[in-house]
Amino acid sequence: MEERIKIEYDALVIGAGIAGGEAALNLANTGYKVLLVEKDHSLGGKMILLSKVFPTLDCAACITTPKVSEIARHKNITIFTESEVTHVSKRGQNNFTAEITKKPRYVHVADCTACQLCEKACPVNVTDEYQYGLIGRKAAFIPFSIANPKAAVIDIENCTLCGACERVCPTHCIDFTMETELYELKMKTVILATGFRLFDPLEIPRYGYGQYKNVITSMQMEREIAPTRPYNTILRPGDGKVPDKIAYVLCTGSRDNTVGNPICSQICCMYSIKQAQLLMGALPMADVTIYYINIRSFGKGFEEFYQQAKGMGVNFIKGKIGKITEKENGNLILRYEDISSGVVSEAEHDMVVLSVGVQSNPAVSNIFDAGSLKLDFHRFVAQKDLMGSPSKTSIDGVFVAGTASGPMDIPDSILSAGSASSEAISYLSQPQQQ
Amino acid sequence: MKERIGVYVCHCGGNISDYVDVEKVCRAVENEDGVVLARTTLFACSDSNQNEMINDIKEHNLDGVIVASCSPKLHLATFRNVTERGELNKYTYVHANIREQASWAHSDDKTGATEKAIHLVKAAIAKSRYAEPLYPYWFEAEKTIAVIGGGIAGMKATASLADKNSNVVLIEKESRLGGHTAEWGSLAMTDEKGYELTERIAGDIRNRENIFILTGAEVISTKGSIGNFEIRIRKKPQKEGDPSEIMVMKIGSIVVATGYDHYSPKDGEYGFGNSDWVITLPEFKKLVDSSTGKILEYKGMRISNVVYIYCVGSRQANGGNSYCSRYCCTSAIHTAIEAKKKFNGIVNIHLNRGIRTYGKQELLYAESLQMGDLYLQFNEESLPKIFVKKQKMVIAVKDILSAGKELEVEADLVVLVTGMVPRSDRSVGSMLKLPKGRDGFYNEVHMKLRPVETVIDGVTIAGTCQGPKNISESVNSALSAATKSYSLISKGTLETEPIIAKIDQENCSWCSKCLNACPFDAISKEAVHNREVAIVNASVCKGCGMCTPVCPVDAIDLTGYSSKEMMSMIDVLV
Repeated sequence: MEERIKIEYDALVIGAGIAGGEAALNLANTGYKVLLVEKDHSLGGKMILLSKVFPTLDCAACITTPKVSEIARHKNITIFTESEVTHVSKRGQNNFTAEITKKPRYVHVADCTACQLCEKACPVNVTDEYQYGLIGRKAAFIPFSIANPKAAVIDIENCTLCGACERVCPTHCIDFTMETELYELKMKTVILATGFRLFDPLEIPRYGYGQYKNVITSMQMEREIAPTRPYNTILRPGDGKVPDKIAYVLCTGSRDNTVGNPICSQICCMYSIKQAQLLMGALPMADVTIYYINIRSFGKGFEEFYQQAKGMGVNFIKGKIGKITEKENGNLILRYEDISSGVVSEAEHDMVVLSVGVQSNPAVSNIFDAGSLKLDFHRFVAQKDLMGSPSKTSIDGVFVAGTASGPMDIPDSILSAGSASSEAISYLSQPQQQ
Repeated sequence: MKERIGVYVCHCGGNISDYVDVEKVCRAVENEDGVVLARTTLFACSDSNQNEMINDIKEHNLDGVIVASCSPKLHLATFRNVTERGELNKYTYVHANIREQASWAHSDDKTGATEKAIHLVKAAIAKSRYAEPLYPYWFEAEKTIAVIGGGIAGMKATASLADKNSNVVLIEKESRLGGHTAEWGSLAMTDEKGYELTERIAGDIRNRENIFILTGAEVISTKGSIGNFEIRIRKKPQKEGDPSEIMVMKIGSIVVATGYDHYSPKDGEYGFGNSDWVITLPEFKKLVDSSTGKILEYKGMRISNVVYIYCVGSRQANGGNSYCSRYCCTSAIHTAIEAKKKFNGIVNIHLNRGIRTYGKQELLYAESLQMGDLYLQFNEESLPKIFVKKQKMVIAVKDILSAGKELEVEADLVVLVTGMVPRSDRSVGSMLKLPKGRDGFYNEVHMKLRPVETVIDGVTIAGTCQGPKNISESVNSALSAATKSYSLISKGTLETEPIIAKIDQENCSWCSKCLNACPFDAISKEAVHNREVAIVNASVCKGCGMCTPVCPVDAIDLTGYSSKEMMSMIDVLV
């Protein structure tokens, strides 16, 4: 890979999730040289970790893995994983300089065969962030089975430097002498596809996340039903029981001024309905109840998908959850305002899924010269001309794709990436000013 | 005849292996004639498996490759590409669909699903044995792109294509550009005026060398296919009585941006048509935008109480439109806020079915609540009723938010929040044979993989002709479609599938049956050595196979699906 690194690129794309990947492919297929920078160990962002995607119930992996594969082998795309863009400065039209820090993986990717012997040899157990804490992993590990690049990583924070992995590696690709590399590269345009963060439900103590083991987040449930799932069935974490009365708490961290996020996250209604449908399939005897304020099934085929869930027997209760308490057997009591009867009610469930919302990833603004990249009120990248050119930012030549500018679902992220790459190509096609 | 075939049976991470015993399938086919390698894989489409396949082709000297996985619609191209990277002819690749056709179709019968999967894979092996290498056709493509529809989506697509140095023809039926957006005043979220926005963008595309704008013009026929469309356009005469002008253009790719119609309430729907004081949202928006002074008047009457009824023409389980129109909640609330700010004494009462101000639009909903707007919510099962009581218009509603109480509200004006419906004029779609979804809007090939492409190569869809969208979303879709249309033909040459009908001219005795069967006008009559025979236009033929079975003398074969291949598959299946 090293020999492909060029000093100059046409475009820098920051973030290799579905939006960044799509934008990079559009540019590369039009003949432009793209540098794609990802801070994580794998391409594919959050989408590659999902189960199926609404409203078509395509499996997420079946869509992302070939896309990621196309990105990885594209002759016009250079990829930096475990890398961060630390500074971008604009020198003029079609003239940007970016400083990039590439952290050591301690594994030579080209030589690693993903045989997992290092994983078996490693004595260190830590929580697996790719399974959202549901199980553990080693300090020498392959991020997940469909990761790209599919190669081992050494988690140096937790590594005890015992050398066990190095000794068993058949291709001698583990190398503890690797160091952080710094690059200063030039490019003509920049696309920001830095995505979103999930709301941390620890901010709402009354829901008991982190305290009650059977209260999980929707991303954890997503992992439980994904093809690369940790348990091969659906279990509640407290005692490993298969749940049969599951509750969804919508708007966890969205439309909620008490946590400083008054806006709607746009995706939670639909992914919760999708999970409910998948759960009905996986656990035919289970009851699934969705507690909601308003169901927002607004996209193409979404309303029909919502009606289908109702038809399958998913319970929809209009009411906001006030508080969750735990019983001795690990079951949970949900206290809520039941809008249909107008009274406060309680219901018992054996597992609760918090449908966590979308939060901005404002760190991206720090990489530009002071204040030049404007953020909006919610600290998403501000869209300078929302109606006329939605992907334009406050800096000419810097475009935004996907959820970096606000909550959106996968189809909208892909169209937004199409829009950003279109604007970037137009920008690159402008006659050069002298 | 292939003698070194490799078979890959995909788990699809449980999508297949939950219902089909993939190991059993693998064992059942590994000893078939010609099969030298059979293995299962978690995700056949993953990068690591793709690389493994390429290694296998080289290491085991494979001459045929089969993947048993999902629908070929999803990944036929992916695996053809792998085969090609393994230095085999990509058209010798054979795909077996054991997901949509076995595991998903028979999730209630695992044994049966496995049996069927085995048959499907064996049939694929039979086809693979006879699969011949094929070579794509290359031809010159026209580089001009046509954009049909001059609303916000069409205009943005045009600007974007022109920026990329393409020649663009923008065809608008009306006499002015701007579409529905130009009819709006103040827009939600930015407060820019709709007509100012469209004027700004129209200004950007006027007087550009590589843009040819035709207003008052309609596409009346199309023929040909990607790279070589021929479209006929009728332009309305400048003066009445003059003959209309017909133009014929050669076009490489087409962006369809024909937009939507406002839902028009039926006679009597919530009193529409019976009462002058029941109007639609677009009508109310115009009234608010155009009224001056501090008092809102309509037909000489002062308006204070405005009652909005939501989801008119949308989300009707039993009506024609079961979908949500997406833009109307936000638009209605924004208009209500505008009215309240502009005029004295406005009371807004929103009768809704759950407000859907998704994303940042939620702030408008919050603002309207803060301004004291009243929200009552009803179910589809108990729609609001309008009647007249003491010469006042009264709406009765069973309000979910007050435990199903029957409430009555008085209205000076009732605003029906109408949604988006597909254009009643479907002529462009019919001419281009664009498929429509159940909702009546044009369908994309795949919402996530190919969101702006249609099954007709070279035709992309932009904006609301694909489904309800707000302005910003329409623009994103338009720019995506423009880039796709551009990348399809910008190289100037095009590759077409070699899977086309082939006519044995010795046997053909021209009966015209194939001509009538062909949905793509690819067949014509020609004299060869003084005999009339059928010939196939390779750049137009889609290889659909409609002509093959109608030939009475069996003179037509479909390359890639030859009689020999098909018969060998059938032998395995029956």
